[in-house]
Amino acid sequence: MTETRFHAPERLEDAISLLSADEDARPLAGGQTLVAMLNADLLSPSQIISLHRIKALQGIERRADGSLRIGAMTTHAVLARSGDLRGAHRLLGEAAGRIGHEAIRNRGTIGGAVAHADPSADYPPVLVALEAVIEAVGPKGKRVIPAAEFFQGFLTTALNLGEIVSAIILPPSPAEACTHYEKFARVEGDFATLSVAVALWGGGVRIALGSVGPVPVRSAEAEAKLFAGQLSDGAIKEASAKLVAASDPIDDVRGSADYRRLLIPRLVKQAIRTAQAKDAR
Amino acid sequence: MNAPGAPIGLSLPRLEAGEKAIGTALYTGDMVLPGMLHGAIVQSPHAHARILGYDTSKALAVPGVRAVITGDDIEFRYMGLVVKDETAIAKGKVRYIGEPVAAVAAIDAETARRAAQLIEIRYQPLPAVTTIEEALHDGAPMLHEDFAKYAKIYDAPVGRGNLLAHSIATQGDPAKGFAMADVVVEETYTIAAQYHAYMEPCAALAAFDPSGKVTVWSSTQSIFRTQANLHECLGLPMTKIRCIAPRVGGGFGGKSEATVEPIAVLLAKKGRAPVRLVLSRNQDMTAMRTRHPGWIRLKTGATKDGRLVARDCELWFDGGAYADDSPAVMNFALYFVRGPYEIPNVHCEGYAVYTNRMRAGAFRGFGNPQMTFATESQMDALAAKLRLDPIELRIKNALPNGARWFGGQAVTESTLVEALETARTRAGWDKPMPPAPPGKRRGRGVAAMAHSSAFLSTGAIVRLQNDGTIAVQVGAVDIGQGSDTALSQMAASAFQLPVEQINLATPDTDSAPYNSGTNASRVTFMVGKAVGEAAFKARDQIIEHAAAMLGVKRDEVSLAPGGRVVVTGGSRHNAEVSFADVAARSIWAVGGPVIGSSAVMASHAMDQGHTKMSGWLSFEAVGIYTFGAQIVEVEIDEVTGAVEVTRAVCVHDVGRAINPCATVGQIEGGFAQGMGYGLCEEMVFEDGRLANPSFMDYKIPSALEVPKTIECVLIEKPEASHPFGARGIGEPPLVGAAAAIANAVADAIGKPLTRLPLTPERVLRALLAQ
Repeated sequence: MTETRFHAPERLEDAISLLSADEDARPLAGGQTLVAMLNADLLSPSQIISLHRIKALQGIERRADGSLRIGAMTTHAVLARSGDLRGAHRLLGEAAGRIGHEAIRNRGTIGGAVAHADPSADYPPVLVALEAVIEAVGPKGKRVIPAAEFFQGFLTTALNLGEIVSAIILPPSPAEACTHYEKFARVEGDFATLSVAVALWGGGVRIALGSVGPVPVRSAEAEAKLFAGQLSDGAIKEASAKLVAASDPIDDVRGSADYRRLLIPRLVKQAIRTAQAKDAR
Repeated sequence: MNAPGAPIGLSLPRLEAGEKAIGTALYTGDMVLPGMLHGAIVQSPHAHARILGYDTSKALAVPGVRAVITGDDIEFRYMGLVVKDETAIAKGKVRYIGEPVAAVAAIDAETARRAAQLIEIRYQPLPAVTTIEEALHDGAPMLHEDFAKYAKIYDAPVGRGNLLAHSIATQGDPAKGFAMADVVVEETYTIAAQYHAYMEPCAALAAFDPSGKVTVWSSTQSIFRTQANLHECLGLPMTKIRCIAPRVGGGFGGKSEATVEPIAVLLAKKGRAPVRLVLSRNQDMTAMRTRHPGWIRLKTGATKDGRLVARDCELWFDGGAYADDSPAVMNFALYFVRGPYEIPNVHCEGYAVYTNRMRAGAFRGFGNPQMTFATESQMDALAAKLRLDPIELRIKNALPNGARWFGGQAVTESTLVEALETARTRAGWDKPMPPAPPGKRRGRGVAAMAHSSAFLSTGAIVRLQNDGTIAVQVGAVDIGQGSDTALSQMAASAFQLPVEQINLATPDTDSAPYNSGTNASRVTFMVGKAVGEAAFKARDQIIEHAAAMLGVKRDEVSLAPGGRVVVTGGSRHNAEVSFADVAARSIWAVGGPVIGSSAVMASHAMDQGHTKMSGWLSFEAVGIYTFGAQIVEVEIDEVTGAVEVTRAVCVHDVGRAINPCATVGQIEGGFAQGMGYGLCEEMVFEDGRLANPSFMDYKIPSALEVPKTIECVLIEKPEASHPFGARGIGEPPLVGAAAAIANAVADAIGKPLTRLPLTPERVLRALLAQ
């Protein structure tokens, strides 16, 4: 009979060595997915390595270049209310506030959610839109991976054995950026049927979609059209067509692939117009 | 009837509110016995397969495992309410994905779960039928080859493949009726499977005593149905089966019949120790029950002035792999084929079919929500065609007092018109709604409904205790709806005592008189009636004792609040004795203990001369009819098709609200569950496999979805046949909710939707198709 052993190391190195020595060990961050999977008998790890005592994974730090380093163990609730998120970074706080319910947000962490890489989760499209960088630590040390390369498929990331997400780094953002995270779900607290992350500022348009493919969908052509067309209805229509073409949705209990494709132009437009309205305020 | 100051009509706090709020309430899963083992089940991966054999050696070799049971441990003994077709655990064949096929008892739950995964079962997969259509094909594989041999309590369609029940009813002359009609509407309505979503998954704890008697604590709606099912499937005499219900975390019909009790008993027997078996949410969703999915073709004819003259209905329910309550649910749906209206000419046929899918069973409303979605949607379609106001059309055809129900029983009190008029006024129906915000559409819809309360028998025993307090024994389980409080209030009222002086016993088949179950909106009505009758008998005995003790005639004394009997008038005016004095006399000196008992059963003859019925279960015990009306306002997002219920007005005839706060709670909860049925709840089966077996994928409305206020209006016209005037309200608030929402959506988008639930995708497609 296998037993699951529990560890809660204080040092990041100890967590890494435990994880890299045993491929059946799992790191525990906020536990909002891991514990549910354990309860559902979908997972039976040999060891659970809790990360909650590791100080190196905590805290939000604004760096000299204007970028923001968010420790992996930062909870959704903290991000949803954080005054550190300014300009386009606010997109992350908006998405954090839409994850699950309050109780989930109080426990769940950005590092755990990002490492889990659920394509219908709220952070992935935001991180891709913001061109965030994922900082990972493993037995070979620290490295950084652009979000667009980090998410590789359904529940699949660029992390290697023994590597964990240690921080999320948001590049500097223009203060004047306005943002909107548009999430459409069957009920409050559900995973998105479709989500749209939008950031707009004088020099740029960023847009990424969640839940319409194994990884977030972003299209350089779509953004170019939006920028060139100055966000006109016509430009949004053309850009949406590009995004639909780039998407690869599936049929599931949240909606059919066809419905998701139908929603893309409708919610992209709504997201952009809402972001603009926030700017006007 | 009710003395002034007695606790009827007061919103007393729930008796068990404190323990539930602080988490000390004891549910089956909280109970621990010395030496107790933990159970785990193995479920079938096949929709249909023959079981060729088991290899349990690996599981038995796991340290800590005490017993493994499979179909080899039982004989072919069958249980079931209307068809005895189900064994304690799968034997010979499996008939649905998720069916319990083996189980383990071990020293802890984790060991049991791990060992369960090591049980090897050899199957020969068989062709499966996972839809009604597949099940009825010529040459379709039979789920139950022995169907003809099973015991049944209705005229079943033997020799017709997987057809489980076929019922026909005709009233008047439908052909003539349709010939009289100026307008005819016809539509097919499709309904989905809904999950009961009780908070507490199914659970049982079984323990044998040295005499060989087994005690079963379980999360059940009926201790007596549990006992009967255990008796049937295990062959134990009822003298050796004791069933007890501790706190129960919801049922909604899903715990009306046996759940995991038979497996827990088998494990306890083989493991020679008490065994507790608690299903996980995933197991509960894949192994237990659903609301009946299917479809209803409905055709209605009316004269141009809006009089309903004829109706024709064909109903198909997917019953799943075992009959459970299916024939009864199908019949009950047909029983409401006219809705709460007078329609003189009706023909209906209903079918229930076995398929290789989890069984469908009783679920709050018992077939009526499905039928009411069809009938009330059709009323709006008719109103549109006749250019009549939907409420006017309903009032015009409302069943009047003294009219006959479909089947021929008399309706003594119809409050439908009052309910509709009250809802109309309260909702401001005649005034236009404020304009919708940009990007939204607004709509308003109504549904009228009727339901019955009573169904089947019950009893009560009421005893005076030595200290002058009252003990009440009933077999009714409070499954969270508050019946313990309501029954205590009724008993307290009969004796003019505060509820604290009532001891309502835990439901226990060893001591309680028979009660059929907590279902059919019947506990406050039927068990309340039994409590009242038994209490009045005990009260009469108290008065008799008191009169003798005070040396006056019986009619010279009366009950006074606080457990006293007082002389009224004469030379001994105001002399009194206490209930404790009476108890002392009765147990030490004269007459023996004060005990009142009662046995009640609703019985109203059906009339074949009024409605000719064949292939039906008897509905003579159906009881009284209760009416209500709901008006709903919705806002539809034009971008996504999402429907938000912005307002709900629910008007229900409750006879008398024993505890108004709890009554309103029932209405709010019923409406919310009906909202889920109408808008978002659907168990999606793909080739017999449930695609959404978790609350992550199957969504019920939360506090964030239901309207901030569900406006409840109680019509209180005391029901004459009930000692405290009450009617049942458990099911009615759900029955019409989906229909009212669907009618509001149709109003908003100008087109009715005929398939539940009204998902954003379906609504958006309807919007775009215009």
